[in-house]
Amino acid sequence: MLKKRRSKEATIPTSSMADIAFLLLLFFLVATTIDVDTGIGLTLPEYVEDPEQIEVPKDRMAAILINENGEVLLDGKPISIFQIKNTLKPRIQSKIDLPKKKKLIVSIKTDRKTVYNAYIQALDQVKLAFFEVRDEYALAKYGKKYKDLEKEQQKDVKNAIPIIISLAEPEKVK
Amino acid sequence: MTFEKKRAQTSQEIPTASMPDIIFMLLLFFMVTTTLREVEVLVDYKLPEAKALEKIENKRLISYIWIGKGGKIQIDDSIVKLEDVQEIMYKKRQALPNLIVSLRIDVGVDMGLVTDIQQELRKAYCLRINYSANVKV
Repeated sequence: MLKKRRSKEATIPTSSMADIAFLLLLFFLVATTIDVDTGIGLTLPEYVEDPEQIEVPKDRMAAILINENGEVLLDGKPISIFQIKNTLKPRIQSKIDLPKKKKLIVSIKTDRKTVYNAYIQALDQVKLAFFEVRDEYALAKYGKKYKDLEKEQQKDVKNAIPIIISLAEPEKVK
Repeated sequence: MTFEKKRAQTSQEIPTASMPDIIFMLLLFFMVTTTLREVEVLVDYKLPEAKALEKIENKRLISYIWIGKGGKIQIDDSIVKLEDVQEIMYKKRQALPNLIVSLRIDVGVDMGLVTDIQQELRKAYCLRINYSANVKV
């Protein structure tokens, strides 16, 4: 009796299992989008009805103005977009050791007719300037680039070089 | 002279029984990492290129606003008016307090519209924004 049962093996055919799994796999491979969202991050200020005008000393401010033709003024002087980074870097560096209330503020102001791309390019340059200064500072102090630092160290670098970008309030009449 | 074929004593089959398991593992990986595209983009846009990019770590927190050529604004599945942006975004923020708004704006859009949107976002307290951009090579 026992011998007979052993010889008759009852199995489910599993050879097609792989094919089925492959089909499912293919579907998900095709449907997957691995694109990670990248972009330039920014935190907007809270909305207030009547923004107070606070006087900021001139050496603390770097005012970038972009007109409708994409021409850039940095503190009243015409400049090309790609020079913004190198012009800002020494100014950021000179303020590393100052207390938080005296760090550089970069203000970006555009015309209503300015093309979005010009604004992003300028913002990109400003961000790059800050990032490079952070990297250099991190290299000098910890011997590593900013992104490789520990959380605590990153905090320290962030405190030394905060990114302060002010978007000018849009003018009401225009 | 006759050659005798050399045959190994062991069976010559590759065991395929574990094949489905391996494939299932791959499958599971892709199932977990996949985010199916939920919304259909109705506007035509080309993202700007930039270098100082940050990755958005948490995809669940993102809410998109598209602004296409000609200044059409799309949130979720529909084209909306500028006046409605505040209300929609305020509701979204109430549902998800640490919302990040990803702005996918066409390169040619006027800054006036972008500023208007930003003002609406500020009124809706959606303060964390991200200008979506592609990597400049």
